[in-house]
Amino acid sequence: MKNYEIIEHTADIGIRVRAKSLNFIFINLARAMFDIIAQKQNRRLIAQKKIKIKVSAETREELLVNWLNDILSLSCAKQLVFHDFKIDQLSDSGITSTALGSSMKNYKVNTEIKAATYHQLKIERVKSGWKAEVIFDV
Amino acid sequence: MSETWQGPIEKIDDYRWRIPRSYKPGMRVPGIIYADEKLLKDIRHDKAAEQVANVAFLPGIVNASLAMPDIHWGFGFPIGGVAATDIENGGVISPGGVGYDINCGVRLLKTNFQYDEIKDKIKDLVYKLFSDVPSGVGSKGDIRVSVKEEKEILTKGAGWAVEKGYGSQEDLEYTEERGAISGADPAAVSERAYERGKAQSGTLGSGNHFLEIQVIDQLYDSKACDSLGLDLGQITIMIHSGSRGLGYQVCDDYARSMIRCLDKYNINVPDRQLACAPVESGEGKDYLGAMKCAANYAWANRQCLMHLLRQSFEKIFSMSWQKMGMSLIYDVAHNIAKLEKYSIDGKEKLLCVHRKGATRAFGPGHPALPEKYKKIGQPVIIPGDMGRNSYLLTGTQKAMEETFGSACHGAGRLKSRTAAARSINADMLLKELESKGIIIKASGRGTIVEEAPAAYKNVNDVVDVVHNAGIAKRVCRMRPLGVIKG
Repeated sequence: MKNYEIIEHTADIGIRVRAKSLNFIFINLARAMFDIIAQKQNRRLIAQKKIKIKVSAETREELLVNWLNDILSLSCAKQLVFHDFKIDQLSDSGITSTALGSSMKNYKVNTEIKAATYHQLKIERVKSGWKAEVIFDV
Repeated sequence: MSETWQGPIEKIDDYRWRIPRSYKPGMRVPGIIYADEKLLKDIRHDKAAEQVANVAFLPGIVNASLAMPDIHWGFGFPIGGVAATDIENGGVISPGGVGYDINCGVRLLKTNFQYDEIKDKIKDLVYKLFSDVPSGVGSKGDIRVSVKEEKEILTKGAGWAVEKGYGSQEDLEYTEERGAISGADPAAVSERAYERGKAQSGTLGSGNHFLEIQVIDQLYDSKACDSLGLDLGQITIMIHSGSRGLGYQVCDDYARSMIRCLDKYNINVPDRQLACAPVESGEGKDYLGAMKCAANYAWANRQCLMHLLRQSFEKIFSMSWQKMGMSLIYDVAHNIAKLEKYSIDGKEKLLCVHRKGATRAFGPGHPALPEKYKKIGQPVIIPGDMGRNSYLLTGTQKAMEETFGSACHGAGRLKSRTAAARSINADMLLKELESKGIIIKASGRGTIVEEAPAAYKNVNDVVDVVHNAGIAKRVCRMRPLGVIKG
C-alpha cells in the first residue's frame, strides 16, 4: 500500500505524507517521489549504489526542499533510481543521509519530476506525529 | 484546488482585467490579466491570479504584472506571466520568473507537401520519428558531446549544431537571437548542471514536449501567409522542447542561492519562490549568465531535434530535406528573461523582461527581426493540445506598447495530471483521436492521458483573446495529424 497521498494541482503533482517522526517524513517523501518517477521492472532488485547526501540550510523547509532536489539531481546526473534512504543525522539546519539505488535501466520510468518547490510547502506536527505536503514541478 | 480565488478583478474591457494595487499592500503595480469572461472563470479556479498579484511586489517592476489568457498556477510566477523590471531602478531578475525548463520553446517548419500527397505516410512517419528521436524521461541522445563541446554549446547554441552539420545557416536566421544569446557565462553553471545536461542534446524530454506533424486548415491573414510561403492543406511540423536537466539544475541552483538575496538586498516578496536579486548585482549577473547558457543549450537541442526529424523524413521519402522544402519558419523561447529596450513614460529604458510561459511577439519593423519578417512582424507559434489546433500568429505594435512584446504560449492546463489520469481512458482517447485522423505515439500511456485534450483549455479561446486584444494577430491555424510525445 502506498504511504502517501497525491494532492491535486493544475500543472504539477503534490504529495502528502504522514509519519511518527520527522526522519520518516523526509524518507517517505523521497520514497514517494521515486514511486511517481519510476516502477521497478525486477522484483528482486538489490541496491547497487549507495550515495551519501549531506545538505545544510537555514530552515527546516529549506532543508527538505534542498535535500529532495539534491536527490533528484543526483538521480538524473548518475542515471540512478533511488528506492530507499537512511538518515544518519537530522536537525533543522542539516541532514546527513544515504540514498540507495540502482541503474535507471532496471526501471520503467514514468514521470519526469523537475524539482521540489516551496509552493504550499507544509511540515507540521499533528496528533499522530508529523505531516508534510510538497508540490513538485513536473 | 477546488476553492475559487476570491480576490478583486476589475473589468477594463472585454479582454483585459485588472487586479488593483490596493489588493495587497506591497504591490508596486497592478496586475493585468488578458482573458475573456469564459477564460476568467477557469483562471479563478486556481491561485494563478494570486501569483499575478505577488509578482507585482518585485522591485523595479514597471507598468503591470501581466498574465496571458493561458495563465495557470506555477512555481512563484504563474505560467503565462510577463513582468519587466527597470534595471536602472533596482530592477530584479528572478529564476522563478523563468521557470525550471529554461528556454522551453517551439519551432515550426514548413514542407512542400500537401496533405493529400502524404496522408498515407503519416503512420510511417510517426513510427519513424518515434524510433529516431530520443524521447521520454531522462532520455539520452545519439548526439554525444564531450565536456569541452558541452561548454561550446552553452555559448554557441544552435550555431554549434549547425557547425556540426545539423542544419544550415538559414536556420539560425529564423531562430530567436539567431539561436545563441550573447553574454552566456559557462563559469556560472555548476558541475552538477553540466552532468545533468550531458548526453541529453538532441532529446525531446517528456511531459508536454512533442513533435507534431500538422496540416494548415484555416488561413486568416493571406498576405502574411504569402510572405511566409504557407497555404491551405500544406504540411507543417512543430517541435516543443527545452533545456532538459541542465536548465532544471541552473534554476534550482539559483532559486536556492537567491533566497539569501531577499535579506541581503532588503527585498519584500510574499512568496520565497519569487527569490530574486537586482539584475546589476553579482548574484543577478551570475544567474543571467547561467540562464543564457541554458537558453543556448535549448536552442542547440531544438536544432538537433530538427536535424533528426529532417533525417527521418529523408529516409521515408528518399529525398533531401531541402527538396522537401523543410525550412524553418521560426523558433521562439517561451521561458526566458531578456534585456530589452522599451519606451516607459516617454523615456527609453533597458528592462529585464521575464516571460514565463509567454512568447516574444515583436511587432513589424523591430530591429531584432530577420529582414523577411520586418514587414509582417515576428512569427508567434502557439501549440495547442494533441487533439485540437495550433496557431501561427504575428507580433504587433500593440504588444510592444502593452505587453513588452509578449503574447500567450499555448493552451494552458485546465485539469491536474491526476484528475486527467482519473477521468480519461487511454485506449478510448487513442481511438477517438484516430477517428479524427490523429496518430499518437508516446513513451508511456501515462503521458497520453495526462496530456489529453480535456486536460487543457481550448487553444482556440486563448488565441481569440490575444488576437482580439491586438497583442498578436492570427495568421493560420493547423490541426494535428501525427504526434510524438515524450
